[in-house]
Amino acid sequence: MMFVVFAVLALALVVGWFGRRKWALILLFVFFVLAIKVFLWEIYSPEYGYRMPWIQVNNAGDEFPASTRA
Amino acid sequence: MRVMSSRPVHVRDQVFSKTSDGARDAMNRFSNKVASGWDEYASPLLYVYLLGMMAVLAGILTTAMTLQYVDGELPCPLCLLQRAAMLGVCFGIMQQLRHGYSWFNTGICLAFSVLLLIISVRQTLLDIYPRPGHAYVGSAVFGLHMPVWSVIIALCLITAIALELIIWGANKQVADKSIGLYPGLKTIAWALSFYVIAIGVVNFVSVGVQCKFNQCHTFSYQLLD
Repeated sequence: MMFVVFAVLALALVVGWFGRRKWALILLFVFFVLAIKVFLWEIYSPEYGYRMPWIQVNNAGDEFPASTRA
Repeated sequence: MRVMSSRPVHVRDQVFSKTSDGARDAMNRFSNKVASGWDEYASPLLYVYLLGMMAVLAGILTTAMTLQYVDGELPCPLCLLQRAAMLGVCFGIMQQLRHGYSWFNTGICLAFSVLLLIISVRQTLLDIYPRPGHAYVGSAVFGLHMPVWSVIIALCLITAIALELIIWGANKQVADKSIGLYPGLKTIAWALSFYVIAIGVVNFVSVGVQCKFNQCHTFSYQLLD
């Protein structure tokens, strides 16, 4: 999939170089959408989804109850 | 009593309305005065500014490719997407150089700068707490890993685009002056654009060798295995 992303990007750059602005912009839009799709696919984990539990701090409230806080 | 209670509101609205219009007029007058004062230099300076941005991006991409081909550090998938986002910013700059300054072309640069920021921040957060089997594999440059550099680069790009809009955004005449009026700048723009496109094509071939049509990884070039 990454190969396709770079293929579309390279094509957009080359087409833009030859002055075909409309086609270059269409290709750039396709590249933008594909890049977002690949990004979301890359960061998705079957175990965690899109979350990053190793940096979550939402349990800090349990460890330090409100009554003990200043 | 009715007059007393309603008048202050009315006056206040008037004052705020006047102040707002006045401030806007004053800002427009100031902006137009500044713009008309340096009309002669506004366009070439904008093109120099854009060429500077693109030269810096070309330098960063060249450094990344040097680390890949000379030091043998294969880029991870998110690193490749960051390169692609930087090339997208370059595309927007090239459009401005070729078709003139416009908010549309500036918007392209901004969209890819934001994409770069999102990808690099996510990768930095992935690596911020090293986990077994997920540690960042690249070497540090001046003490910072590449994703962190990417965050800084993205923030610098967004700031640069904001400055561009602040300085040249109100100048209506800039868009009418083509880079063709400045032969020296046109030559530099041609050469730099060609170089950036070459980087894009080399990266495309490189990704083909590294990943083929499969998922990318940083162990080896899959096509050469």
